[in-house]
Amino acid sequence: MPITTKVIQRPEPGRVSYLRAAFKGMALTLRHMVNPKTVTQQYPEEQTELHPRWRGTHVMEVHADGRPKCVACGLCPTVCPANCIRLVGGEDDQGNRYPIVFEIDEFRCIFCGMCQEVCPVEAIHVGRDFENAEYTRDRFVYDLDRLMQQDHPSTLLWDPSDPKGE
Amino acid sequence: MDPIAGVPLLVSTSLKIAIMFGVVMLTVAYTTLAERRISAFIQDRLGPNRVGPFGLLQPIADGLKNLIKEEADPGTASKFYFLLGPVLAMGPALVTFAVVPFAAPLPTPWGVVDMIIADVPIGILYILALSSLAVYGIVIGGWASNNKYAFLGALRASAQMVSYEVPLGLSLIVVFMMAGNVTLTGIVWEQQQLGFWFAFPLSLGFILFVVSAFAETNRLPFDMSEAESELITGFHTEYSAMKFSMFFIAEYAHMLTASALMATLFFGGWDLPGTWDNAYWYQGELIRGFDASGAPMAAAPAVWKTLLTFAAFAAKTGFFLLLYIWVRWTVPRFRYDQVMELGWKVMLPTALAYLMVVSATILVLDQVGISGFYFGLALTGVSAICTVAFVFFLDRGRIMVGAAAPRHGRVGPRPTFGRGAMSSEGATTGD
Amino acid sequence: MAKKTTKAGGAEAKKTTKAGGAKAKKDRGVAVEKVTLTIDGQELTVPRGTTLLQAAQDAGTEVPHYCYHPGLSSPAQCRLCLVEVEGAPKLLPSCTTTVADGQVVHTQSDDAIRMRRGVLEFYLLNHPLDCPICDQSGECDLQDHVFAEGREHGRGREAKRVLGRDDFGGDVLFYGDRCVMCTRCVRFMNEIEEKPLLTVVERGDRAVIDTFFDEGLEQSNWAGNVVDICPVGALVSKDFLHKARAWDLEHTDSICPNCSQGCNIELHTRDNLVHRMKPRTNLEVNGHWICDYGRGRYEWLNRGDRLEAPVVHAEERNTAMGWTAALEALKSRIDTLGESSVKAVVSPFWSNEDLGAVSRLVETLGGGSVVFRSPRAEEEITLPGYEGLARRKALAPNVQGAELLGCTRVGDDAAQGGLEDLMDHDGVVLVLGDALDDQPEGFAPNAALVVYLGAYTSSALASADFQFPVTTFAEQEGTFTNHAGRVQRFWPALSGPGAARPAWLVLGALLGALKEEEGPTRAEQAFGLVAKAVKSYKGLDYETIGAQGVLSAARVPVPGD
Repeated sequence: MPITTKVIQRPEPGRVSYLRAAFKGMALTLRHMVNPKTVTQQYPEEQTELHPRWRGTHVMEVHADGRPKCVACGLCPTVCPANCIRLVGGEDDQGNRYPIVFEIDEFRCIFCGMCQEVCPVEAIHVGRDFENAEYTRDRFVYDLDRLMQQDHPSTLLWDPSDPKGE
Repeated sequence: MDPIAGVPLLVSTSLKIAIMFGVVMLTVAYTTLAERRISAFIQDRLGPNRVGPFGLLQPIADGLKNLIKEEADPGTASKFYFLLGPVLAMGPALVTFAVVPFAAPLPTPWGVVDMIIADVPIGILYILALSSLAVYGIVIGGWASNNKYAFLGALRASAQMVSYEVPLGLSLIVVFMMAGNVTLTGIVWEQQQLGFWFAFPLSLGFILFVVSAFAETNRLPFDMSEAESELITGFHTEYSAMKFSMFFIAEYAHMLTASALMATLFFGGWDLPGTWDNAYWYQGELIRGFDASGAPMAAAPAVWKTLLTFAAFAAKTGFFLLLYIWVRWTVPRFRYDQVMELGWKVMLPTALAYLMVVSATILVLDQVGISGFYFGLALTGVSAICTVAFVFFLDRGRIMVGAAAPRHGRVGPRPTFGRGAMSSEGATTGD
Repeated sequence: MAKKTTKAGGAEAKKTTKAGGAKAKKDRGVAVEKVTLTIDGQELTVPRGTTLLQAAQDAGTEVPHYCYHPGLSSPAQCRLCLVEVEGAPKLLPSCTTTVADGQVVHTQSDDAIRMRRGVLEFYLLNHPLDCPICDQSGECDLQDHVFAEGREHGRGREAKRVLGRDDFGGDVLFYGDRCVMCTRCVRFMNEIEEKPLLTVVERGDRAVIDTFFDEGLEQSNWAGNVVDICPVGALVSKDFLHKARAWDLEHTDSICPNCSQGCNIELHTRDNLVHRMKPRTNLEVNGHWICDYGRGRYEWLNRGDRLEAPVVHAEERNTAMGWTAALEALKSRIDTLGESSVKAVVSPFWSNEDLGAVSRLVETLGGGSVVFRSPRAEEEITLPGYEGLARRKALAPNVQGAELLGCTRVGDDAAQGGLEDLMDHDGVVLVLGDALDDQPEGFAPNAALVVYLGAYTSSALASADFQFPVTTFAEQEGTFTNHAGRVQRFWPALSGPGAARPAWLVLGALLGALKEEEGPTRAEQAFGLVAKAVKSYKGLDYETIGAQGVLSAARVPVPGD
């Protein structure tokens, strides 16, 4: 839908009809008052279907054997504009580089999705989920295990060859 | 039939107080719900609909929450007056309803019970006196908070009170002239006898009363004392939990009283169109009118009449409550200077002039000897002319200027900002 | 500077580099024939014998290269530095082709770029492209060149060769897949270390660098340099493995603190911690190299047991204070003491500025002796291929500077003992930097005043009258004087903990208060005071010292050197 601009002229002084404007307003509000159509969504019962590129709570992809796909390359903490990713790399017993510590502070995160975009091994993703309320603040720092356990679908990346996602 | 007396009077009055208190409080509670739901409907939303069916238990949940909520106690507030504020605001709001008749008299085995808690002879003066007291609650609360926003709100409330009390009183005087009485039962009776609800013969008075009543109850578009965009929440900025709730209840109780007054003074109170439900104590007799010879005719009170008239009263009051809410969610807030200007430059002279016109008309009609239905009709015509003239002046923006338009008389280029203001041309146009 | 090493010409590069910085310096006065040529449209005049690659570098054009290294010979085998020379039938390797009069060189011509593109594609045929897990990522020449000039997608269909990784011993780990066979490491071992521990085995696409059977790089004291010169991530440091990404590290020019050679280094820091030390080229001191002994000893810069606030001992109690209050308390103590004899212990790990401030204070308080203790090794570890570079016996960076300031070395080779006469001293005892770890608690019980300026908490001085937190060399600006009397500057790489301040600043403020004059507020001013006091430093200031240091006028022999 194109964005249009509606220009409203200011009324000239001396020609302002205050009462008429007020009554017009009353009529308008009355029409809306009796109109049963509402825009409210009854949230827990009615759920919006999230768009394929909706960016929410992160997901860490895992290999078939349960290891995280992350190789601790350090690109996501580098690219992260909110500085919300903490990463300490290390070596596992098979000599593979892996993240000893991988934490995302969902509070600091601005959900720009750049971590997913930059990830060379498609390990970290932003996901199609926003229902991540918690009772304590520290629960919002997601560690590696928690990120791996997220089971919501991950966000699709923008495809330059199909810019409108059709 | 005889009026109720003695012990039954005591019992019936106590019962009426208890019942009406309950009804008023319940109405207030549900008006808050109505406010929220209607505002939601106006904005194409649903409003609170989670607590109970259709959200009907929401006011109870709100009340419970406010009762058990932790109260913030401002350290620099004046403790005693801080506490006194809400009490002073809520008390008068509740007791004013005592003199409003809400139904036709009810016949009982012990006598006829008036459907009014206290039919005091000073009637409306009692209401004026007490509702003026209510502003003390706001002023004291705002001052005692020791908060500059609260204090500004309180100042505005008192200034607004003073400004609109006068047109309110003046618009009531025309009613008194018509009724020849200040008791509300008398005013209802006169409207029944005239065959006209006063809203028609006193149309401009009704308009002035409605506007003044809006201002008196601090409702939008006159809620200067708690203008959120300017004063946080004005006089009750520092209040929380139940103390805030009491201010809130007071505001809605005021709305209820003002709506009941509009219904009673200008829309016949509990009167239903027609004459069969008339009832008035005349020289110890409950009468329904006078016959051609001037002899009183006895009224026939009945339980069904009481119930039906109460329904009529409730419907009228309910309509004005709806109007309050409706206006609030339509009309934006005035600027403070506009409120003052409207009060002193428009309302007061208009009310005075209208008082002159009405009294002159009544005098002329009395001299000519016209009374009854034609008296009302003539007055309706005169008032209609006044109303049209008033609206013409108002509507053309000659007296009231909408906030959107610049003050009239100012001609020339608008003040420019940005690049224009930086240029030498912009600098020379400023004076 | 690159010019100096190879003045004798590309063909003789090996010989020249072997001669090292000292010889290059001697050549300075000799007149060299100049030639004029055009590189990328820019005309420039360079000494005869300069290679095209160096000339291009002078002209501001970096020609991509792998096998060429300014400190090593050029085998011209990586084929990446090919440039177009007008009149030549083919592209010429710029690292070995020397300049000629009237040459017209194009480094960015279509042919040159096309050739580099092709060469890079070949390099990537077997390269695993594991940049995400490679420690070189971010400072990798292959990454940079492919990103700048390489193909977007490879065309190879064959499976890549997989070699896995190999432990070369010492601190060096070898990832064969990433290797581009530039043989810099092999040549370093052959030419500079002169101990051929590495070689190329197999041929063609099976060629791989390897050690000889059971012999690893652990025998070498200089093997860490092969990690530095490896243009890709084939040779990586075990110590640094997966520790930090190259782009996260901040680089600060500094001086190696682990012996009196004074090798120029860069401290690589992140999150206020030193993560590694890398050599910084200075042909007069260390060329492109540093030893493994120095490279591995940076952890002490990250020590956590630091003094963080001035502590004043009064009425059997230690009280932390602000600087003003603590210094005023010290000044009033000194005022009541009057003139007294001072015995001071300083640490040769502290800068000339700090040591100079101590000797000025000793002088002001009434004179006395300043001693220092420094660890010593049994023998030097030399680098045969680079004259003048060795791990020196004196294992502290500023022994020479302390000597020049009139301090006397005491104690044994482990930097212990030798403080007997301080223990019984009844005047003022002043300690800078040295935590006196070998001394018993309650050091100098008879002293009238004990002042400790140190970076670390000290058990011996826990009840000293005044304990002032000072910064280490990595946290402040200053100078060290190396074994040859070369004054070299370093810069702050870390921020000091808490209220720690440079010792010259603290002592300067105290001296200023005692003498009622302005103390130095910048390291430059503090060095100016030192230069005034020490004859050898005459005429030196931070500007003349610069980033590469300068030899002071007189060289004082270090004992045992």
